[in-house]
Amino acid sequence: MEYPDTTWVQAAAYLGAAFSVGFGAIGAALGEGYAAGIAAQSIGKNPGESGNILKNMLIGQAVAESAGIFALVVSMLLAFVVPAEAPLISAYCYLGAGLAMGLGAIGSGMGSGFPAAEACRGIADNPPTSGMLTTNMLIGSAICQTPSIFGMVVAFMLMFIDFGQQPLWPGWAAMLGAGCAVGFGAIGSGVGSGIPAGTSTAGIARQPAAVGSIRTNMLIGSAVSQTPSIFGMVVAFMLIFLDWSHVPAWPTWAGLLGAGLSTGLAAIGPGIGNGFTAGEAAAGIARVPDSSGPVTTTMLIAQGVAQSTVIYGFLVSLIMIFMPPTEYDASMTAWATLLSAGLCMGFGGIGPGIGEGMAGAYAVRRIARDMEVNVLITRVMLVGQAVSESTGIYSLIVSLLLLFVV
Amino acid sequence: MAAEIAGTDLVRAAALLGAGIAMGLGAIGPGVGEGFAAGKACEAIGKNPKEAGLLTRTMLVGQAVSESTGIYSLVVALLLIFVV
Amino acid sequence: MGDLTKIPQWVFEIGGYRLTLNSETLIMSWIVMGILILFAVVATRRISILPGPYQTIAELMVDAFQGLVHDALDEGNRHYFPLIITLFLFLWLSNMLGVIPFLSEPTKDLNTPLAYGILGFFIAHYAGIKTKGFKAYASEYFQPMFFMAPLNIIGELSKVVSISFRLFGNIMGGSIIILVVSHLVYNLVLPPLLNAFFGLFVGTIQAFVFTMLTLVYISVQTK
Repeated sequence: MEYPDTTWVQAAAYLGAAFSVGFGAIGAALGEGYAAGIAAQSIGKNPGESGNILKNMLIGQAVAESAGIFALVVSMLLAFVVPAEAPLISAYCYLGAGLAMGLGAIGSGMGSGFPAAEACRGIADNPPTSGMLTTNMLIGSAICQTPSIFGMVVAFMLMFIDFGQQPLWPGWAAMLGAGCAVGFGAIGSGVGSGIPAGTSTAGIARQPAAVGSIRTNMLIGSAVSQTPSIFGMVVAFMLIFLDWSHVPAWPTWAGLLGAGLSTGLAAIGPGIGNGFTAGEAAAGIARVPDSSGPVTTTMLIAQGVAQSTVIYGFLVSLIMIFMPPTEYDASMTAWATLLSAGLCMGFGGIGPGIGEGMAGAYAVRRIARDMEVNVLITRVMLVGQAVSESTGIYSLIVSLLLLFVV
Repeated sequence: MAAEIAGTDLVRAAALLGAGIAMGLGAIGPGVGEGFAAGKACEAIGKNPKEAGLLTRTMLVGQAVSESTGIYSLVVALLLIFVV
Repeated sequence: MGDLTKIPQWVFEIGGYRLTLNSETLIMSWIVMGILILFAVVATRRISILPGPYQTIAELMVDAFQGLVHDALDEGNRHYFPLIITLFLFLWLSNMLGVIPFLSEPTKDLNTPLAYGILGFFIAHYAGIKTKGFKAYASEYFQPMFFMAPLNIIGELSKVVSISFRLFGNIMGGSIIILVVSHLVYNLVLPPLLNAFFGLFVGTIQAFVFTMLTLVYISVQTK
């Protein structure tokens, strides 16, 4: 199949466009559908407010749509604007751009549905607060869009920066790996930032007087939930901008692809888990506004510990990026080891992240009600989280074994 | 670019890939399950602080049992790397 | 942007060993230390019942951390309070230093967070051995089942990795993002906002998380 480079580049651009809009459509539709369903339920409960609720639903859906619109823009650019007369490595850049934006839009779209839904529900239950609810929904949804913006930034870089100086091997794996790192990494944080936005909006509807402390807690919790996607974006930048001309082509490509997958996949769990914890913290403060001190402290501790597995994924990525193989080795074992290490830590980071986040969520919910026992609860939570982390540590051990011993 | 792929090389590569996938996917379930157990234990201790010792012990035993499939994954991964 | 991987260093020989020091990290750390010492001197120069502004700030911080340490640690271990509050102040100031032009965060270099992580690890375990006695401390590694010992040990070591790399990743990641995005938007509009978010907001939260986790690790070992 001997075709000129431009054929492959053009084909990859079209494929990238497909990934971008295809994946990107998933999240936004889910989020908007959820918002619409809860809006209908709320109108059923309180038909008098139907005008207000409908308006709020449409605004919330518009914000959730933005992730889908970013994905559409990138898709259009890939299909019609990017040049086909580019070096062959651009084929992989376009594929990576499609993955980065498409995957990155899933989480943000889904996450933005929660605050929209809760705002509609709150307007039905407590109509005078509708102004505050809409404001909180907008703030929360805006933070929730940040991971998809990370995906868009990396997609734009991949589309429009000239990577001619990067060697084709292993540069192609670096570009794909970058797309995976930021794309997968944004899923968890997108959903995870939407959950506290939703519960804080519900809390404000229930307890409008405490809007200050609820919103502060939501902002802190959402911002910390962004950290896993930040790790994904940092790995993506490293993969794109470091110079790969001095490493052997084979098997380094597997290391670079594995580095992208390691942080990207591992960021899914902690992002969602942090969201659970922040969500329950906001709900707890809404119930008992005086508890904001201990609740915020324990929330931060729980979120910090829940991020451990994305940090292990980041560690494995750093090892594979900064300690690449020194000699050319074309055997299958060499590349299988590197790719396997990346997949192992990547998948292995998902479960403990979600589980530790749930542990933090229940702990924080209980502390809001029983502030005096907060030290005891925090300690048990940490013990439980540490045990929960064991399988994440097993994955780290197997990854390190694959990298250093095999 | 391609080297001479003998049968044994392919098989070894497949075993190594399998080890990574085994441990990776196998870590998902126990992580979520044990976290849920920890969360519920925290909630129960909040409701009943006097029983903290008993509740903590129950949580740890429950988590240890939930760990079993994770340990199966670890054992299979190590077998695939070192023994096969 | 090619200088993402360049590190300014001082290299010198001592007794046959080649020592490499990261000069930028060292100098920035000294600047942070200088600011903290200056603040401490100014705040305590004339301690009075009606405090001046610096003394008020110092009292607020001491009060807040006193409460946290008091809750977490028992009588015999409360003397770790100065360590905890110094750790927080140093890390907080270090994380924010990047906002000032021509200065960069010492925590951007892996050595700084790793050093404090290892420090916290040794202190926690030393406190644990001193409080519980070596036998009780060692037997904890064999809970809940005998063969879990190696996994428990690795779990303890991985705490050092996670606490250090979390701070390193957040701060270095923030500085890389600011660098790349500023390059892309030709330094218009975005860089001050990003600097405020990563330097001030993320820096404060990560310093607090690091400090609280260290405190909690000491507390878990001593109870």
